This record gives sequence, C-alpha cells and structure tokens, in this order.
Amino acid sequence: MNGLAALTIVAIIVFGTIGFALIGVRRVKMNPEQYIVGGRSFGTIFLWVLQAGEIYTTFTFLGIAGFAYSQGAPALYVVSYGTIAYVIAYFLAPAVWKVGKENNLLTNADFFETRYKSRALGVGVAVLSFAMIVPYVTIQLSGLQILLRIAGYGAYDATAAVAVGFLVMASFVFTTGLRGTAWASVVKDILVLAAVLFAGIVIPVHFFGSPRALFDHVLALHPHMLTLPRGRAFHGTLWFASTVLLSALGFYVGPQTFNSVYSARSGDALRRNAIFLPFYQILASLMIFAGLSAMLINPGLTGPAVDQSFLLVVQRYFPPWVLGLVAGAGALAALVPASALLLAGASVITKNVAGDAFGLATSDRSRTLLTRIVVVVVALLALGIWMIAQKTVVELLLLYYNGITQFFPGVVAAFVWKRATAWGAGLGILAGVAVAVPLAALNVTPLGLNAGFIGLLANVVVLVAVSLATRRAPMSS
Amino acid sequence: MRPAPPSGALLLRALLAAIPVFALSFGVVLVNRVEPRILGFPFLFCWIAAWVLLTPAFLWTIGRVEKRW
Repeated sequence: MNGLAALTIVAIIVFGTIGFALIGVRRVKMNPEQYIVGGRSFGTIFLWVLQAGEIYTTFTFLGIAGFAYSQGAPALYVVSYGTIAYVIAYFLAPAVWKVGKENNLLTNADFFETRYKSRALGVGVAVLSFAMIVPYVTIQLSGLQILLRIAGYGAYDATAAVAVGFLVMASFVFTTGLRGTAWASVVKDILVLAAVLFAGIVIPVHFFGSPRALFDHVLALHPHMLTLPRGRAFHGTLWFASTVLLSALGFYVGPQTFNSVYSARSGDALRRNAIFLPFYQILASLMIFAGLSAMLINPGLTGPAVDQSFLLVVQRYFPPWVLGLVAGAGALAALVPASALLLAGASVITKNVAGDAFGLATSDRSRTLLTRIVVVVVALLALGIWMIAQKTVVELLLLYYNGITQFFPGVVAAFVWKRATAWGAGLGILAGVAVAVPLAALNVTPLGLNAGFIGLLANVVVLVAVSLATRRAPMSS
Repeated sequence: MRPAPPSGALLLRALLAAIPVFALSFGVVLVNRVEPRILGFPFLFCWIAAWVLLTPAFLWTIGRVEKRW
C-alpha cells in the first residue's frame, strides 16, 4: 500500500508538470528555430531555469550523496567544478551565441561547420554527438528505474513504468520542443529545490539536531572523511584540483548546451545567467550533507548501491507521501534533462545529417516535422538499448563523459586561433576520443592523471600539428 | 548596439576570472583542514561554499570592467 501511495504521488507530479508545460507553450507557432532553440528569445531568468533544469540530473543528486556517503570531502569536487564552469561560460557562451545568431545556427555541429567552413566536419560532429547522446539518455532511464523501485518499496519491477513515463515525455517533446522543456524545468527546479532542502537540512536536523552535530558525529567516527587525502593520494588534493579543472571544461560543450545557449535573447542574458548559476551549486553541497547523514544512519552500502543511500533513509524513516514527493522531484530530474537530450539528438540528425549531407527536409515545415519524428525514433532507440543492455550502459557512459570534453579545444580554437583548420579540429576530436575512451574503459590512469585529460592533450597536439600542416578553407558560405 | 568593451582592461579581467578558478582548484591544497570550524562546518567546506558565493561577485565585477552594466 505504501508503494502505491508513493508511486501515485510520483505519477501526479510527472503528469502535472507536463500539463503545466503544455499550458505554457500554447499558441506558439512552430518552425525549426522555435522548436529547437526556442526562437532565440529566452531572457536571463527563463534561461537560468532551463539550464539548471537540463544540467542537474537525477544522477547529479543521487551521485553526489552517494559519493559523500562512501568518500566524504572529495564529493566537494562537484561543487567546485560546476562553479568554475560558469566562469568559463561567462566568456565562452556569449561568443558561441553571437556566431549562432549571425548565422542562424541550430546545433553544435552547425557551429563547427560555420567556423571551420567544412560541411564534412559538421556532419562528423553531428554523428559523434548523436553517439554520445543516446547512452546519456539511457542512463537517465536507469536513474528513473532506481527511483521508482525505491518509491514502490521494492514491490514492483519498475521497467514498465519507466517505459511509460519516458514515452509520455518523448511525445511531450514531440509537441513542444525546447520551450516545453524550459516550462517543465520551472516545476522541476522548484521541486528539486524542496527535495534538496529536505535532504540536506531536514534530515541532518531530524537525526542529529544540527549541522554542527552531524559533523561532530562524522569526525568522531571517521576523522579523515572531512578533508582530502594529501597530495597524490587517491582522491587527494592534486586529484581534486586536476579533476575539477578538467570537468569544468567538459561542462559547457555538450550538444544540448549549444541549444540552450542559442535560445538566449542576448549575449548579456548569458553573462547574467553565468553569474546566477553558481548559486545552484549550493544545492549540490546540501546533497553532501544528505550523503554524510545517510552514512551515519544507514551504514554498510557498497558499490553502486551508495547512490541509493539517501533515498533509502527517506524510505525507511519517513511517511510514503514524503518519499513520493522526493522521488517525484527525482523523476523530473531524470525526464527533463532527457527531453533536452532527445531534442539535441534529433536536431543534429535532422539538420546536419539528413538536411546538410543528404539534402532532405530543408523547408521549415518539413524540417520541424522530421525533427519531431526523429525525437520519437531516438526515444525508442534509447529505450530499446536500455531494455536490452542495462549493465553495459554504464560503460557506454564513459564515451559521453570522456568524449564530450574533446569538443572543447575545437570550440575555443575557433575563437582564439585563426590558423586552426577543419582537419585539425576534426582529427583532434577523433584522437582525443580514441585515447580517452579506451583508457577510461580499462581504468588506466597514467601518472595519476585523469583519462580525459590525456585525451585532451592528444587532442590539442593533433589539432595544432594538423592545422599547421593544412590550409584553412578560403572564406565562403 | 553598445560600444565594444575597452581592451586595456584585459589583464584585470583575466585576473578577476583566475582568482576564483584557482581558489576552487589548486587553492584547496592550502585549506585542506577541519579547523577552524565556522558555525560547525569544517573549514574546507566553508572555503568552497564561500567561493561559490564570491564567484558571482567576481563575474559581476568583470562585467562592470567591460562596462556592460
């Protein structure tokens, strides 16, 4: 009965959010620009809501708590790198937006094609982006399944519910495009804020009396958990500094991020947005308190189960309606970013592969229609992969995390180095992915350095060497 | 259209951006301690939280230097 009550609340939250967003987007006339980048009309606040909505996923919240549960202070790296990423965004996002506005760009692949004057590079970036997006959508489904299973008190196998929830979300994106994702983000951000305040403040106060007492308990039982190991030790200060810097580079170059950057009304809207986004990181630190509390209340979880640590505390010690609200917020944190990813994945295929490479669906009307159809195809593909191969999905994710950062040198070089060529950027990305993904898959960390970092080095070396050896295409459009 | 920002302030802008980036990355080497605790929170946690809150002020100041607002 408890499970039914909690799951009912989750369902009400998900369907209520979709209803709210449908009201928000009514009477918007759809063309590709409206559908994919919101008509380039979003101001600072709407943009803030959208970006917070698509950046912070279920795994951000469950993962931070889980990391704090098992490691303690190293989990602070998430708080640090997100904040650094917004310093980079302050400079990079308005520059990307300007190129997008002047050239009517819709996707990240368009950016590469325009700046490097190479259609082949655009198509290559589109294909690689698509290959990264599908597993990233899939991992959201795994997050949703964990949530629904716990919300159902383990009584239900949530697979069918995951499929239904996800397909409803896909048909929602089919109807509304990026504007719908932004409206859904409004509800998601408010509910996640409430859930995180509950997890990070109410739980520690309820069990320990105050945050001070929580830290006293942690210090008494695990005196080393509230600082980083020294120097080169695993999860030590050097690991912290290098991982924080690397992760910050990858944070803003995901294909879905380009869509939200293009959706801005002006460069200054993006600059103000970069100023306000760090405040969202405070929520991430609250999840660390939740993870530390869960470690004291319910110790003994190991491996991937640590990600469930704080939800299990809610399940065991709070009434079903509280669990339902928390899990509902978590479900939105899976579905809202997934909707942005579906749209980004569909837009690179429609615009850059079908449109630019094969000359299909180039009118506004047919392009909007094809994007909608591809949204559903991508959704079914992600769902199919998830159902067939749930375990290997986590390994596929290495492609996303280590691959996505490899777009960074090409984006920056497009602005700061006139000599950079399409061959240099393209082969640099390939070299970076070819180095980083196998290293990460085999869990090799040469000299204690992160695999993505080694990939970036290879990427930059190839970008520079090949660019010097090739000639930049003559100006043309 | 607003005028282009003055380029003479390049060094100042770079410095304003570099300070929070350093504080939140290699800066942790200097503050990797539990004591002194502030309101019960370990010092390392306070340091990072403080820089999360200070970073917007630095970015806003860069915007001022660029005469954007």
